Amino acid sequence: MHDIQPTDRVSLELHHAISQHAYTEARMLQNHQYKEWLEGFVAEDIHFWMPVIERRYRKDKRPAPGPDDMAIYSDDYSEVKQRVDRMYTGTVWMEDPASDIKYLLTNIEAFHTEQDDLFKVYTNVAYIRHRQQLERSEHIGAREDLLRKVGDKFQLVRRKIVLDARVTIDKNLYFFG
Amino acid sequence: MIDARELVDTKNSTQAKKIFGDQEVYEQELERIFGRCWLFLAHECMLEKTGDFITTTMAEDPVVVTRHKDGSINAFINSCSHRGNRVCTADSGNSKSFVCNYHGWVFGADGSLVDVPLAETCYHGDIDKSKLGLPKIRVESYRGFVFGCFDDDAPSLEEYLGDWGWYLDTFMVGAGEGMELIGPPMKSTLKCNWKVPAENFVGDAYHVGWTHAAALEVLGGELGMLAGNTAEIPYAQLGIQVTTRHGHGCGIIRQAASSIHVKRENYDKFNQETIPKVAEKLGEARAGLFDGHWNCTTFPSCSFLYGTNIFKVWHPRGPNEIEVWSYVLVHKGMDDATKKEVVKQAARSFGTAGTLESDDGDNMVNATSINQGTQARKNRMSSTMAHDYEGPHPEFPGIVGASFIGETSYRGFYRFYQEIMNAESWQAIHARDDEWDDMFENKDFWKNKIAGNK
Repeated sequence: MHDIQPTDRVSLELHHAISQHAYTEARMLQNHQYKEWLEGFVAEDIHFWMPVIERRYRKDKRPAPGPDDMAIYSDDYSEVKQRVDRMYTGTVWMEDPASDIKYLLTNIEAFHTEQDDLFKVYTNVAYIRHRQQLERSEHIGAREDLLRKVGDKFQLVRRKIVLDARVTIDKNLYFFG
Repeated sequence: MIDARELVDTKNSTQAKKIFGDQEVYEQELERIFGRCWLFLAHECMLEKTGDFITTTMAEDPVVVTRHKDGSINAFINSCSHRGNRVCTADSGNSKSFVCNYHGWVFGADGSLVDVPLAETCYHGDIDKSKLGLPKIRVESYRGFVFGCFDDDAPSLEEYLGDWGWYLDTFMVGAGEGMELIGPPMKSTLKCNWKVPAENFVGDAYHVGWTHAAALEVLGGELGMLAGNTAEIPYAQLGIQVTTRHGHGCGIIRQAASSIHVKRENYDKFNQETIPKVAEKLGEARAGLFDGHWNCTTFPSCSFLYGTNIFKVWHPRGPNEIEVWSYVLVHKGMDDATKKEVVKQAARSFGTAGTLESDDGDNMVNATSINQGTQARKNRMSSTMAHDYEGPHPEFPGIVGASFIGETSYRGFYRFYQEIMNAESWQAIHARDDEWDDMFENKDFWKNKIAGNK
């Protein structure tokens, strides 16, 4: 489903609804409301994916990585849920005191697809995280989402995040991008 | 030159805290350890076709590894012999040659200089290309794993691994077709000394129950019982720890190979079907370890978890920073679906966003930065756990500790660290081949334990 192609751009009204949905989602994650996010914003057939992208020469014709190739994560619902559950164990020492993260979302483009209830959304993302006293990390990339309209809400069905950096400058990427 | 006996006290099992951040110590390590030991480069499966290449580093030196048309694997320093620019800037690929971006010198897949622009006109033909190839690095493979070494006097890779090869063979030979490595590697930086994760992987099962309590709790499974160190289990007799002549070592908890993997039905099936084959090929001792979970370091900086199957290289970037490169190990004999599941599960646990990897960062970084304090660095660290509960074993080579939770392989890692940091040459190291394990004094530990158990 990552391959579902965009068709027409959505209306101003739909674009507003989709971008507001994205901001709300980001705010929930910033506020550590992972369970609420999972239950309210994530579809049960989710594929949550951050592939590993090599630096290759332009002449290199090997295909881009697919969902079965090496990935920083390539999670289904139960696996995302496990990541969420870990945050509630009370023994994630590295998140106590908690880090602070902000999601800066820009360049949101939303499109219809061949399926009436599915929307393709492209977003540029900057995740900026502060930890402890002096630690600051930022991760810049692009997100490709597939959203499903359920009633008057949206649920995340596919998310592919590609970070621009080949080498992650951070202790980990354990946040819900 | 620093006397490494000040850095490592093998009698009392302590190390100076300054080993984790001192510039002078680090520079001695670059020369004496990284300049003389076999360092992991690639797996042969990443270089199947003529012209395939990957780039990596040996300590801080960038290196290109290639498959030449004669079938050989070559490695050379990724630095033009003209003015020193990098000749290959991609992570991997396939190419007949490498063209330096600076002046256009062209090097073959064996590192030889094959073309120089304007050679006839501006050099007036006065340039001997045969003397201007890229500096070649010694390359050898062990069961498909390719290592490089800068020192012509170093022993062969097989001798360097020594008894460690006996253990590696459990899965590299015992499982039929052996193992291969899946990339491309995840890469991240960590502001820690390279030895912190190396010692952690060689012998630190002690931290598992505490550092990783959260992940173990949600994973459950065989290792889930370790969460918080509160379960009533015979901690002192869970598996073994091993150290060998050149500091390589591991800790093994039995029957826990796949325990970190959430989806593992096919993987478990493969392991159970393979155990009898390991027994047939290598005997019962190793068959009994085959479905264990192993935490391992091949000295100095190549670590892996057999079972979880994450495979890491800690590339030093100064005394207090590393790049972490993470690949995944799979058995060649597994079907594709099982391989893919193993890759995914290994990355889920110990990749850059891993559920367990994400517990370790602070420990590694703090152990490095705190130990650089003016006063802190004057103190020492200890690795004394169960120091009398180890010795030569009737079945397992090297020095073997009584539980996978202990510090036997820490002691062995730093024993060899001290030795190679002080040794003038590999000859001086060889001269001590018969006495290397003198520091492990309880020679009859296993004899008595086995007799007592009977």
